Amino acid sequence: MGSIARTLANSISDTGTVASGVNFRNLVINGDMSIAQRGTSESSVTTGGYKTIDRWQNVGIFGTWTISQSTDVPSGQGFSSSFKMDCTTANASPSAGNQLHISQRIEGQNVQYLKKGTSSAESLTLSFWVKTNKTGTYQVNLRDKDNTRIIGQTYTVSSADTWEKKTITFAGDTTGTFGNDDGNSLECEWFLGAGSTYTGGAVPTSWEAESAGDRAAGLTVNLADNTANEWFITGVQLEVGSSATDFEFLPYDVNLQRCQRYYFDTASVVNGEAGSGLGGIFTFKAFNSNEAAGYNAFPVTMRTNPTITVTDNGGVDGKIHRFASGDVGSSVTFGNVSNSAVIACNETSTFTTGEPNIYGGRIRANAEL
Amino acid sequence: MEKIGTFRKEDITTVKKVYFFDGSWSYNVVGTNFKCSVPESTSNTDYQIIQEWIADGGTVIDNPPE
Repeated sequence: MGSIARTLANSISDTGTVASGVNFRNLVINGDMSIAQRGTSESSVTTGGYKTIDRWQNVGIFGTWTISQSTDVPSGQGFSSSFKMDCTTANASPSAGNQLHISQRIEGQNVQYLKKGTSSAESLTLSFWVKTNKTGTYQVNLRDKDNTRIIGQTYTVSSADTWEKKTITFAGDTTGTFGNDDGNSLECEWFLGAGSTYTGGAVPTSWEAESAGDRAAGLTVNLADNTANEWFITGVQLEVGSSATDFEFLPYDVNLQRCQRYYFDTASVVNGEAGSGLGGIFTFKAFNSNEAAGYNAFPVTMRTNPTITVTDNGGVDGKIHRFASGDVGSSVTFGNVSNSAVIACNETSTFTTGEPNIYGGRIRANAEL
Repeated sequence: MEKIGTFRKEDITTVKKVYFFDGSWSYNVVGTNFKCSVPESTSNTDYQIIQEWIADGGTVIDNPPE
């Protein structure tokens, strides 16, 4: 009975505020960096995008990087993975418009309970573990993408090559509202380097209209200035309230499914990691030479109708595998795509009707923010 | 094999509208290092990027079925 009472106490709040002990209190998905459907490492990275660990995006890059899921983690905290950035070609003199940061974008419908735009707007506390050889002051921001507003704080890495836990509290915002939809409403960004466009202002320690010059105004380091530089982060938690609670570890399957709302790789049904070869479970049956169809459901409802990429046995994009025969097509297009399934594929004079012509391939569906 | 989620406007080479049996359509997008299908969905970020590409002067190949 005691444990039940504690569970209920954690789940129910009659104060009108959001209880800090509720499950799924972390607004950040995959904060323990454990899911990496796209692969565990990508080298020679010079452009932004989603590279390895699910839900974590590199936005803007200068220098050249290897981005990976690392097993270097803070000791005794329960983490098994971290997000690692390793500089392989330095750029010590970024141009004005250069930016180097990672971020996670959060759907508006997931932040309605922050009561933004009201006098009861909730404060948020961000906690994370960070390690780098590059000591100095860094800046992390919350960006309101619906109203182009921002709040930021700096944090200092004081000991080189040592895991440090950082906790930052941001005030609630009494201005504007978040769209109650599947769009990008709140973005949390960690600046690691920036040109003068992003450093010329002042750290926005209170919510304000976003100004580019404020986004990295407190940054005193350029992580891209030396190929010896590396930066790790894990245990990221963004939660309501003015104090950080212990990191909320989720079961692996729950974490994977939360990530699959934004990205799904049929290869990941095996073990949650990127695979090779077919790795696919989706199949289509030809009904004329131009089209094939089949009801191929995604494991979870995706954020929106996703972009589809198919690869054949050899890993070539655009081709689809004809079972027990070989790869066909060169630029197959997928249609009748909803947020729950993909039904049809099309390429002129590519498909053969009749038994046993079944087509399939490794499907990757992208509905990221 | 290109990792998706790295779709950028400047990477687009061609965009073709492909129609399906029920009259719906998807964009077939070929880029410098990728091929993918983008559904008609305004909240799909790749769809949004294609609209920017079109606004910048990109031309979609469109041959609707007769």
